[in-house]
Amino acid sequence: MNQEIILEACDINKSFSGVQVLNQVHLDIRKGEVHALMGENGAGKSTLIKIITGAYTKDSGRIFWKGQEVEINSLKDCQGLGMACIYQELSVIPALTVAQNIYLGREPKKGKTGLIDYKKMNRMAQELIDRYEFPLKATDIVDSLGIGLRQLVEILKGLSCNSELLIMDEPTASLSGKEASILFRIIDALRRQEVSIIYISHRLEEVYMLSDRLTILRDGKNAAVLEKEEIIPKDVIQTMIGKVVDESAGSRKTLTRNTNEVVLKVEGLTRKGFFENVNFEVRQGEILGFGGLIGAGRTEVMRCLYGADKYQSGKIWIEGKEYVPTSTRKSIAFGFGFVPEDRRGQGFIPLLSTNRNTALTNYDIIRQTAFSISSKEELEMCKKIIEKIDIRPADPEKQVGLMSGGNQQKVVIGKWLMRELKILIVDEPTAGIDVGAKDEIYHILEELAAKGVIVILVSSDLQELVRVSHRILVMRKGKIVKELAEGTVTQADILEAASGIENQEEVAG
Amino acid sequence: MKKKFSMEKYSRIFILLLFIIVLTVIRPKSFPTVNNISNVLWSISVVGILVSGSIFVMLLGGIDLSVGSLMGLSAVVTVITIRNYDYSNKGVILGITLALFVGIAAGALHGFLVMTFHVPAFLVTFATQSIYLGISMVLTNNKILSCLEPKLFTSIGLGRIGPFTFPIYFMILIALLSFFILNKTVLGRHIYAVGGNPEASRISGISVKKITLISYITSGLTAAIGGIVLASMTQQGMASTGSGYDTEVITAAVIGGVSLVGGAGTIQGAIVGAMLVGLLNNGMNLMNVPSTNQGLVKGLVIICAVALDIMQKNEKKVHLPFSKKKKAGGNV
Repeated sequence: MNQEIILEACDINKSFSGVQVLNQVHLDIRKGEVHALMGENGAGKSTLIKIITGAYTKDSGRIFWKGQEVEINSLKDCQGLGMACIYQELSVIPALTVAQNIYLGREPKKGKTGLIDYKKMNRMAQELIDRYEFPLKATDIVDSLGIGLRQLVEILKGLSCNSELLIMDEPTASLSGKEASILFRIIDALRRQEVSIIYISHRLEEVYMLSDRLTILRDGKNAAVLEKEEIIPKDVIQTMIGKVVDESAGSRKTLTRNTNEVVLKVEGLTRKGFFENVNFEVRQGEILGFGGLIGAGRTEVMRCLYGADKYQSGKIWIEGKEYVPTSTRKSIAFGFGFVPEDRRGQGFIPLLSTNRNTALTNYDIIRQTAFSISSKEELEMCKKIIEKIDIRPADPEKQVGLMSGGNQQKVVIGKWLMRELKILIVDEPTAGIDVGAKDEIYHILEELAAKGVIVILVSSDLQELVRVSHRILVMRKGKIVKELAEGTVTQADILEAASGIENQEEVAG
Repeated sequence: MKKKFSMEKYSRIFILLLFIIVLTVIRPKSFPTVNNISNVLWSISVVGILVSGSIFVMLLGGIDLSVGSLMGLSAVVTVITIRNYDYSNKGVILGITLALFVGIAAGALHGFLVMTFHVPAFLVTFATQSIYLGISMVLTNNKILSCLEPKLFTSIGLGRIGPFTFPIYFMILIALLSFFILNKTVLGRHIYAVGGNPEASRISGISVKKITLISYITSGLTAAIGGIVLASMTQQGMASTGSGYDTEVITAAVIGGVSLVGGAGTIQGAIVGAMLVGLLNNGMNLMNVPSTNQGLVKGLVIICAVALDIMQKNEKKVHLPFSKKKKAGGNV
């Protein structure tokens, strides 16, 4: 291992309106290492990265790049040094091709004319793509690519600048197992070429597998810096959150069949191009997990079931009667709850307060007199929700768009909790959320199930599926391919069925 | 959680007070008189009525450019009906009813086109603007139709209680109604939600179509009311009677802090915005700024106001998913 330090951040302090978010934080990155940065949401990871990339100004502290002290005031400064940041939220432009996106703003020109040399650009992009075996073409329009592949474009963009340090913020959050394994291969290749990587992820197993060293932040302070051989999963989690979580509980579980009466029955549900002939039934108080890769059709089935999309054929039976979901409004009145996959795009209204967001689904149960809403009752309900699931900050007037991901998700879930639910569908409920908040969300789901509510959990997080579900269905290419209902179930079982290839996808988290 | 004093929330009131103080100091004889204040309020009353409805559309991220010519059509329809019924009170009631109906129908058409074909509101109302103006011209043969009777009609715009004319009371009433709907009813909550994120609203069981339709109808309805009031004020029906009001409405709303991409803004803000514009006009008149220069000054003030507003918002670093969001109300 090369011991040369490429980036060093010393004694970084930063506070926002009086709240100290970073307190004497230290981070050093060696040449050619994959350095994981971990911590709960709000621990200060993002702030630290934003200071390194010039998006925020530090209050005090020093940053050294290859031994030289540097001032980074903008993203451009940071790129100029040889760093590239791959963002959690995609910044690729859908209407352009892969090559156009990669070379955006620095397109190769034809001589002195100033016109773009598309031939050269496509060739350069294709060479880059081939070098790391990305499943892409330089001329693909980004809009035609799935969300997972778009992320790869983002990574290519970073690679194309010959960067010596890549910062990856939750790179696998939206990738399927297969796409993730491609990414891991690329990370390995980059490591061999002495490119350093700062790797931020909530998926612990990825971090153990990939990283050479690990810096843990807690409450804006350095909690630990560990060498590879010092990384012990249980200790890491404990250091991160300061409490003990039984991690092994998530790797395998013995399932027993639920024998309650069947409440929901789906027969031959088909939406052409997305899924076909989907059959399943769910019993009272059951948590039914849906596993599969991204694009397997799970989200689409759930959206049809909920009434957000139309399906072509098939029947839905609830409590023995046929149910036709013509609108989301009808489904909500009937007792459905729905937590969508795309939290920011579909889950909440960022400009509005927690209060207005949690009330959104509940105006049928909030008292109204002469057309006027009882603001008091609305607020009371919000306070109850905040208290019940510990939304932070506990301020009903806080704008949800300004809250952390975990708390935003709690708001999205919270708006269903005051209702008489029959069926709650949750799609990737813990994507991009820290371990502590994940646990809390699992408890909410378990509590609902204990009360007799049917919970349908769509998740790409295998550990989560195994840990929470009472029974698991696996979808592949629009069909249900496997049911795991009895006996011991492991993450590998789901993965095998989901990918359709045995033992090849073990790396996928 | 300490409650922070929101500068942004009250900044417009401060500017309004500043305006009033400055004008009182430099024109102590002509500005702070009941007559002058009544004049200022009268001059903004129609804009106040219009913005009370148009704000619904703006909150959805849409825009209604047809307001001015729809006012013209409403004025023309009212006056023609009154004239055809021999200036009788019956004619007034019928004319007003008809004009209101025209406003509702036009709004419904806008909402329908925006919703069904996903045509941007900008384009829809830009096209209908021309259509309404055309219809008015055909109806009036492009002439000014005067209408000095009956009293029931003329008192709408010119009658007064105390020092204030009726249109001021209409503005207050309609703005209060708008305030009530936006702040106290489920409809109001839904409008802000749809404007902020239509897809999340749909997932939460809100009928985005219904909300869009209602909002455009409201905007059409207030345009019709504005047209009737203006016809009475001027005692005539003319195709181009409302020309310029569409931009006045947008100006008032924007100065009042209503976001043109939807989801944020209040009616009280928009009314204060209208007052600021009214005071600016009044101040310039009192200071004998030649009318040839007034447009220039007004434009500069609007740019400053909007720039200030955006700077304030950027400071808060609100990250909004503009690119991902598909607007139900249609983008500007």
